[in-house]
Amino acid sequence: MISTGMFGIDDMLGGGIPEGSRVLYSLEPGVDGQLFMISTLYETLEKGRSCLVIIPHTTVDAFLHDIGQLRGKILPAKENKIVFLDSVDRERIQRCAGKGSAAEREWQVRIKKLCTENKVDVIFGYFDVIYEDFGLEKGLALLSRACCPQESTIILENLNFEGDTLLEAFAARKSFDLILAIKSSFRPLPHFNYFTIMYTSWSTELHRSVPFLVEDGHVVPYIPKIVVTGPPEAGKSRFVANATELAMSVDRTGLGGNVTTVAMDFGRLHWQDFDITLYGTPGQPRFDPMLPVILHNAMGVVLLVDATNHGQLTRARNLYKTITRMHVPIVVAANKKDLPGLMSEEEIRKGIGISKNIPVFLISAQQESDVADVLESLVDSITRFIY
Amino acid sequence: MYFYKTGIPQIDQATGGFDAGTNLLLLAPSLSYTEQLAYALTKPLPGEYAIMLSTNERASEVIDQYKSAGADKHFVGVIDTITKCSTPSVSDTERFMFVTNPTDLTGIGIKFSHMVEMIFDGTFSGKESGLFPPPIRFCVNSVSTLLMYRKLEVLYQFLHVMTAKVKKVEGFGIYILNSEAFDDKTVSLIKQLMTIVIEVKVERSDNYFRVMGIRGVNADWHKFTINKGQVVLAL
Repeated sequence: MISTGMFGIDDMLGGGIPEGSRVLYSLEPGVDGQLFMISTLYETLEKGRSCLVIIPHTTVDAFLHDIGQLRGKILPAKENKIVFLDSVDRERIQRCAGKGSAAEREWQVRIKKLCTENKVDVIFGYFDVIYEDFGLEKGLALLSRACCPQESTIILENLNFEGDTLLEAFAARKSFDLILAIKSSFRPLPHFNYFTIMYTSWSTELHRSVPFLVEDGHVVPYIPKIVVTGPPEAGKSRFVANATELAMSVDRTGLGGNVTTVAMDFGRLHWQDFDITLYGTPGQPRFDPMLPVILHNAMGVVLLVDATNHGQLTRARNLYKTITRMHVPIVVAANKKDLPGLMSEEEIRKGIGISKNIPVFLISAQQESDVADVLESLVDSITRFIY
Repeated sequence: MYFYKTGIPQIDQATGGFDAGTNLLLLAPSLSYTEQLAYALTKPLPGEYAIMLSTNERASEVIDQYKSAGADKHFVGVIDTITKCSTPSVSDTERFMFVTNPTDLTGIGIKFSHMVEMIFDGTFSGKESGLFPPPIRFCVNSVSTLLMYRKLEVLYQFLHVMTAKVKKVEGFGIYILNSEAFDDKTVSLIKQLMTIVIEVKVERSDNYFRVMGIRGVNADWHKFTINKGQVVLAL
């Protein structure tokens, strides 16, 4: 397997990219997605593999400086098994052979020569200039196994102006073994970047979308806001505290000595290579005007209810109606499964009016493994959600 | 809605300025002081920002031009496609970003997004005014140079994306195209992406412009000069 250099993505792909595959990183214009291919390049070189990098849009020096700046780590070309075909080569080919079939042959000769002489394992190519010079079919053929060594892995980055239509055509024709589209959206957050595994030749169940951040030269899958809401004393603060590495709750002790959240709970965790932020809402109806503020831009919601308290179901039903209007993934967690008077899942579903496609977990928020199961389910739903 | 003042009385008095989201093609022959006109139209007014995608001048020269037009350099960002070719080790800063050459549309698009994000985040100048969305004037100097590096079809798609982004962030975009260097098909294709066209002509060493595409503003030719970043109309 070839690692993508992004371990969360490797996990989603079932361990990485099978050797000998043909991979496309498709970039929507303007999206900060260059680190995807660069991460794979760095990882490949660190594993001691030999690489050919085709950069027809830039020079070797500028490319090395750019990727060093992006990654925060200079790539010493001399210490690595790396060879290049760059914009200087492209100009030479154009001067000698123009842009037609003679130029195509010259590119083939140079690629084959470099691959053979350097026993290249992985070819990295920036495709859009090749596409422009030779057209789609000839450009793809130039960077295919017909022209490159049979056993080599080919990884391309393309600036995609043609959108999903082009990618769907690639998937239908099986032009690539993996198509990963990197896109942006203005909702639920402005300047919100995400990637979608659109196609893999080795599985039909991998179509999923994940937001990401670029942090310290690395791509980090990111869920900026999961909200935990529910009736009072359902265990939301406990849930957030047990789910996260760093949690904070704004509480107040009432006259009866019971502690209740009066502003919100907040916690952050790094889990399965994801950065996740959790927000817990107050449960008392008098805080309902705050709910839209806390729920705004949430990417998923946990509705937490006390599974031993029938009296809470009406309140839970009202909250459920509010969150279903947001059209984001929802998971229901029925807490206090370890206490007497536990309702069944059917009773809870009926009492709240939960639709069949929304999972219900019977949990104890005291147990971190139960909390992790709920989060795992919600993160899975978020990554399958089409933005 | 925000209105971008132009300093041209005919436009500002008739319409209050260009609507947010306007994309303007500046169609001009060589040696017609079009760059100065573009600097005058994209110079950031108080509370505004400017981003120049420079295919012809280094970032330092762009800043000098804006300064001589009376702009505050802290509110100007430059995407420089010239310097990195000769100085590969030049590094990006908040307000100066570099790509190797105009071929690299991936890099140009990403640097533009970075600058806009920083402006939106309030981390661009250190002297943020607080207007939201922040008014951004964007200029490409010039589309003609980009056309020398990339095919018309590709550039059309790229400009389609850029003009859409300008609309989305409620900015104001100006795109300079040499009217003498390209055929009618090229010019009309680029025009399709624009809201307004300003044409410039030179007659007997005098410069004239006319504005097309604004309701209530006639398309008569106006003789003009540029003085310290201001468009001055001859009476």
